[in-house]
Amino acid sequence: MCLGIPGKIQSIRDDTGLAMGVVDFGGVRRDVCLQYVAGEVSVGDYVIVHVGFAITKLDEAEAQRTFEILREMSQLDELEWMKDSAGQEGQRPETTT
Amino acid sequence: MTKPANPAALQCPVPVEATDRVQLGHGSGGKLSAQLVARHFLPRFENAALAQLGDASIVSIGGAEIAVSTDSFVVQPIEFPGGNIGSLAVHGTLNDVAMMGARPVCLTAGFILEEGLPLAVLDRVIVEMARAAREAGVPIVAGDTKVVERGKADGLFINTTGLGVIDPAFRPAPARAQPGDAIIVSGPIARHGMAIMAAREGMSFESAITSDSASLAPLVDALRAAGLDVHVLRDPTRGGVASALNEIAVASSVGIEIEEMTLPIPGDVRAACEMLGLDPLYVANEGVLVAFVPEAQAARALVALRSHPLGADAVRIGVVVAVHPRIVALRTALGGTRVVDLLPGDQLPRIC
Amino acid sequence: MRYLSEYRDADVARSLITRIKGRATRCWTLMEVCGGQTHTIVRQGLDELLEGAVEMIHGPGCPVCVTPLEQIDKALAIAARPGVIFTSFGDMLRVPGSDCDLQQVRARGGDVKVVYSPLDALALAQRNPDKEVVFFAVGFETTAPANAMAVWRARDLGVRNFSVLVSHVTVPPAITAILTAPGNRVQGFLAAGHVCAVMGYTEYEPIAEQYKVPIIITGFEPVDILEGISMAVNQLEEGRHEVENQYVRSVRRLGTPPARALVQQVFELANRQWRGIGEIPMSGLKLRDEFSAYDAERRFGVGDLKVTESEACKAGEVLTGRIKPPQCPAFGTLCMPERPLGAPMVSTEGACAAYYNLAKYRTADPLETAP
Repeated sequence: MCLGIPGKIQSIRDDTGLAMGVVDFGGVRRDVCLQYVAGEVSVGDYVIVHVGFAITKLDEAEAQRTFEILREMSQLDELEWMKDSAGQEGQRPETTT
Repeated sequence: MTKPANPAALQCPVPVEATDRVQLGHGSGGKLSAQLVARHFLPRFENAALAQLGDASIVSIGGAEIAVSTDSFVVQPIEFPGGNIGSLAVHGTLNDVAMMGARPVCLTAGFILEEGLPLAVLDRVIVEMARAAREAGVPIVAGDTKVVERGKADGLFINTTGLGVIDPAFRPAPARAQPGDAIIVSGPIARHGMAIMAAREGMSFESAITSDSASLAPLVDALRAAGLDVHVLRDPTRGGVASALNEIAVASSVGIEIEEMTLPIPGDVRAACEMLGLDPLYVANEGVLVAFVPEAQAARALVALRSHPLGADAVRIGVVVAVHPRIVALRTALGGTRVVDLLPGDQLPRIC
Repeated sequence: MRYLSEYRDADVARSLITRIKGRATRCWTLMEVCGGQTHTIVRQGLDELLEGAVEMIHGPGCPVCVTPLEQIDKALAIAARPGVIFTSFGDMLRVPGSDCDLQQVRARGGDVKVVYSPLDALALAQRNPDKEVVFFAVGFETTAPANAMAVWRARDLGVRNFSVLVSHVTVPPAITAILTAPGNRVQGFLAAGHVCAVMGYTEYEPIAEQYKVPIIITGFEPVDILEGISMAVNQLEEGRHEVENQYVRSVRRLGTPPARALVQQVFELANRQWRGIGEIPMSGLKLRDEFSAYDAERRFGVGDLKVTESEACKAGEVLTGRIKPPQCPAFGTLCMPERPLGAPMVSTEGACAAYYNLAKYRTADPLETAP
């Protein structure tokens, strides 16, 4: 139900009427059925793939925007902890690098 | 206080235990395998050497202690990036002997061939076996061949038996882990199992995931030469690092804690695991060892391993503890904890 | 891996945990619906890290494990027939039926194969024209488009020796069933991200409105789950009850329309038994009449198989958080992972199995080699 991972489209072709493509997942490639996203994707786009099918196109702009917000929030928190620990020891949660 | 969760491998779900037939899970290196050995084989083949359940058994012959190990190889596909069933058969048994700290002396090889197997394939298997044996300096001194009808042997099966001489001053054993020991892994994990799985699943790669199949004897020699008191050595084959650590935790009656952030997993192996929903900790390795050494010797052990190309990426992944005996726990990057249990059987690709 | 690894960032995750704990003025009870989300929560030990602020009740989110007993038994019956290649996702192989599972059928000589995609099963049918290839079409709405395509393609290409055993379930009726169960304690939901990637989330808006619960469409990585929980807690603290989308990179309000369209063409809603929970009306999918030629139940005459669920199973109360598994009289006695009575024990992601394994963690016999 849930195991869908993001991959980048490398190539698109027509397989007797079915849109298929090669999708790259961090260095691993597999054939994926692109029929459900055929109208909106091109080579280089990211899709979410579940059991060999692209179920949606990944919105990279949204992803970047929302992640930036999270990242800033976490950096703000870092600053807060640094300010606090200037006064008090042991407040800051442990970080591993 | 919430206790750490045990995903019990988050496999869906546990097998029916009361079965009157052999299942594939019995060969997986997980709980079913352990039960098959404990309930069917051990009680009948009773002897002290076998009961140790080490990678190899130790017998006394005329005053010398000899390590003996046997292993059968049924891998499909027969040929894969990084080797074939032949090189795997040589490395696998050499490694079992080496994990006892013994110097391998000789090998035997028994073949079960399927009618119809192309001789060209057989030749390639033999050539790789010969090469692996030659590189290790260990001759194949005895062998046997049988042929069975088409359909009865999946191409070919190989059994190898190895003999080695135990070094009285260097005796790692599964029961010797002690609280405080550092746990070291000699290289990146999950490569062999994913190379096989990827070949089977028809995945292609920018550069293929290659099996790490190799003889670990040079790494063991390096540890021995450094004069270290190695408590345990284990090559985490089927069932992966997780199964090996569980077996050691039980044999030594200790707890184990590993750090997720330290596990060396190559990027393409990780990606392949993600795609299939597999946990790299349970994936087979054929060219990696796990070593338990006293904390004070950990740094020297790493130096010794890294001095050899096979051990260039050796890294410390955890520690032995006195708490939660027989349980392997993992600390995540977030600081949470979970139990890393034995799987009931094979790890299967999942959709959930 | 791009668009995956970032969502495992430990600093961002820890920051979210701090926010959640800082924001919660009391302990809120939330349910994540999807098994994949449970997977992450359990693997990351998030329960432990959020203690005091949030209690997560693990929902019936493993479609494999809520597959009704009779569908498993039908699968076993078909798989045992000579001349049949029975194909399935890996997760189904160990689900116990009334007296065995697919792995045991394989051990007894049945031709059972694991496939990664339903198109692989179709290809197998094309390569083996003298065999009947059956595919076990289970899953939530996420998997329905793939299964629909396999059936559609089979008809398009004229592949006659291919059929599907359907056991699809849908999420919104399950959420409603949980909310209306007596003694329900769930105050907010993390809805299943990939289900909604396909279906969109319009179906959840009336539920949030009627039952006054926040529903957050959430992804699967630790940062996603924590952000979803954070959004739920914010709503609860502010007294809001809306549908919000955390998983914006993959989910749009209308989902993936072509996928929804094909699912509609091939399947229709039906009543469905959920293992250990009982019947939830109109919570399943079945093949439409014009595709009945591909229905394995008809082809193999197993449509009338009836089974009895255990009366001792209290899955309903566990899933609504009314009781904890150890309070069920059958827990660990009649009901355990090797012989489960209901869904939360069948799945090792389920609440009952998780508790059972914790108990074993304390008795410390992980190899279970004691006779």
